Amino acid sequence: MRWAVRAGRRAGPAALALVGTACSGSFGMPRGATEQGADIFRLWQVFVVTAIAVAAVVYGLIFWSVIRYRRRRSDEPGALGSQFRGDHRLELVYMGIPILIVIGLFAASAAVEVRVDRVSSDPAVVVNVEAYQWGWRFTYPGQGVTIVSPPSGEFVAGPQMVLPVGQTTRIVLTANDVIHAFWVPDFLYKHDAIPGRTFAFDLTPTKTGTFYGECAEFCGLNHAYMTFSVRVVQPAEFAMWLAQMRAGQAAA
Amino acid sequence: MSVTMERPVAAQPEPPHRVGPVERLTSTDHKNVGILYCVTAFGFFLVGGALAGLMRIELAEPARQVVSTQAYNTMFTIHGTVMIFLFVAPFGIGLANYLIPLHIGAPDMAFPRLNLTSYWFFAGAGLLILLSGVASTGGGAAMGWYAYTPLSEMRYSPGVGVDLWILGIVLVAISNVMGGVNILATVFLMRAPGMTMWRLPIFTWNMVVTAILGLVAFPPAVAAFALLLIDRRLGGHAFDPLGGGDPALYQHLFWFLGHPEVYILILPFFGIITEVIPVFSMKPLFGYLGLVLATIAIGALSMGVWAHHMFTTGVVDNPFFSAMSLLIAVPTGVKFFAWTGTMWRGKIHFTVPMLFALAFLLNFLIGGVTGVMLASAPIDFHMNDSYFVVAHFHYTIMGGSVFAIFAGIYFWFPKMTGAMLRERLGRVVAVLLFVGFNLTFWPQFVLGLRGFPRRYVSYPADIGFDTPNLVSTVGYAVMFAGVVVFLADVAVSLRRRVPAGDDPWGGNSLEWVTTSPPPEHNFDALPQIRSERPAFDLRHPELAP
Repeated sequence: MRWAVRAGRRAGPAALALVGTACSGSFGMPRGATEQGADIFRLWQVFVVTAIAVAAVVYGLIFWSVIRYRRRRSDEPGALGSQFRGDHRLELVYMGIPILIVIGLFAASAAVEVRVDRVSSDPAVVVNVEAYQWGWRFTYPGQGVTIVSPPSGEFVAGPQMVLPVGQTTRIVLTANDVIHAFWVPDFLYKHDAIPGRTFAFDLTPTKTGTFYGECAEFCGLNHAYMTFSVRVVQPAEFAMWLAQMRAGQAAA
Repeated sequence: MSVTMERPVAAQPEPPHRVGPVERLTSTDHKNVGILYCVTAFGFFLVGGALAGLMRIELAEPARQVVSTQAYNTMFTIHGTVMIFLFVAPFGIGLANYLIPLHIGAPDMAFPRLNLTSYWFFAGAGLLILLSGVASTGGGAAMGWYAYTPLSEMRYSPGVGVDLWILGIVLVAISNVMGGVNILATVFLMRAPGMTMWRLPIFTWNMVVTAILGLVAFPPAVAAFALLLIDRRLGGHAFDPLGGGDPALYQHLFWFLGHPEVYILILPFFGIITEVIPVFSMKPLFGYLGLVLATIAIGALSMGVWAHHMFTTGVVDNPFFSAMSLLIAVPTGVKFFAWTGTMWRGKIHFTVPMLFALAFLLNFLIGGVTGVMLASAPIDFHMNDSYFVVAHFHYTIMGGSVFAIFAGIYFWFPKMTGAMLRERLGRVVAVLLFVGFNLTFWPQFVLGLRGFPRRYVSYPADIGFDTPNLVSTVGYAVMFAGVVVFLADVAVSLRRRVPAGDDPWGGNSLEWVTTSPPPEHNFDALPQIRSERPAFDLRHPELAP
């Protein structure tokens, strides 16, 4: 046992360093332009690093077995391998380790889920999002501001939602015909819009910029063209935009 | 103790019995029904593959090019339905029909006529589903293979295609239930003396669990489809929110079938791999008992994971489904270690079935670890309905099941026909399919991460979707070439026959002690069955337990 402890003490920091390096990578995933998205991004890193480690071990064992125990030219044609039928201790080990990994992943995942699903009691902005075949209606309740998709059957600039950076926005999501889903890939978040139900979730943008959004639940003929965008701006600019829109829509 | 029995020999080296078309279509012999199933299912693979090709051409470049949006939506609907319900699952049932009586030393399935009936229900279902795509007024079935309500309700999908599709799926379900009953009755009641449950070949064990899954999962789905049909044609409102119905209820019922179904799509093929690896490693299976228990555990857990398809719906916030979905990785891991342990300290022969089995291991592992990612609800908030999911399930169903199907074809074709497939052509097929497959589906992980949703006929240029889509289409072309070489291999091998003999591989299970193809009643005599590999024990009495 003592050798194991010693080896563990030495391997621990080395492994942590390795995981740390790996964890700075994004592995193809956008980094999440909201607080909730950044949380999901870190969870993704945990999962992907674990997956790579597990795959490396399993691939290693497979390749080692295949190469080391290939039949060689010097073997007799009917030569047999060792005729053992298993090893109960080994079997317990390779069942036990995955159970521990899975418990760890579950704990990480459940913790993030609670944080992502949390809704603020006092959001700075509320946007009602209504999905329909095939477009979106964004309403800022109490402000008299509504933005609607132009009718389309191809890629046109969809409706644009404007949000303030660093403040919590409540999205209230509904659908009035079939099921749709509101997805902004850069926020690493989507939610289905189901007719007859209303869902609410919070986004807290952390980066300014314009982010592409789309419908993610197949909703019939022009599903692919149900795009929109979210423009995240400084709070002052947001207030100005809202005032302009209010004035413009009141006049119209 | 070493009692050996006379090795059964064919009475005379008879020329392969030519089966006429009438006999082929009406004989209730389990081997005939099995081959009918497999050939028909493979035909559906070619249909589904052709549809995939059209979709890949459409997606090769950003703008819309070869098909209309409506046609594209129909194609992915029919592609998914065909591959799942008419190719992979029935191919497993076909192999089970062929192999189970041989594996357990029985002359036929328990209910031969039920067996043929289940085939014809399947064939009829196939016809209806193909018709639902092409020959329907008001547009083909274009609602996606899970036919979510309200989109599949009359108001949004008025075409008769959806009704044909529903009837087709119900026939598939009935066919599956009949097949499942038959498999269970056969395995439980018709095993030869000495063939205890703990000596069953793993393929047969896996089919027992698959059959139970089908019996539990299909009936609720039939109820869901019946309600949907009533909604559509008889003014019902079960799933229509405007009439007080609940679309989420449909999703629960559908995925209560849909998720066990994905294990119906993989367990038979785990079975194939488990038959192939020991034979070509010249070793007994590593951890037989553990493997069987793992299969049973997968079957049991698969009943409790369905709502992981619904993480983004907001109607299942409970972490139960996430936990169950993560847990299912454990028995699957046990299988991987059992396969690796079987190769460990063996003498591995790289025959074509073994190459496909190795490719299966490499592909399926990626399908497995990405499945673990998708089992996490927050990660799924990003991934759900993206190409990441598409890539994931193709790594399991195509990279896993379909590669196992090819392993099985190369392994049992000699038994079924009496002729070997060509080893050299087979290697070309294996390489083309492996390279093509990974080239097609690896870029789809990238697409999904970048935000490309599934079921999009088109995509805007310059937001990172162009290159991976193009690479994916090139990969399809490579796979296409692989399938062409495979068909050529089958044609050449049937025309210019290389006789297989009874046991070309040095097999373990009972099918290898009878002739290729086996006589009508399968066995003239059975060896004593003292382990899970009676054919091996017969060849090596000195090693038999």
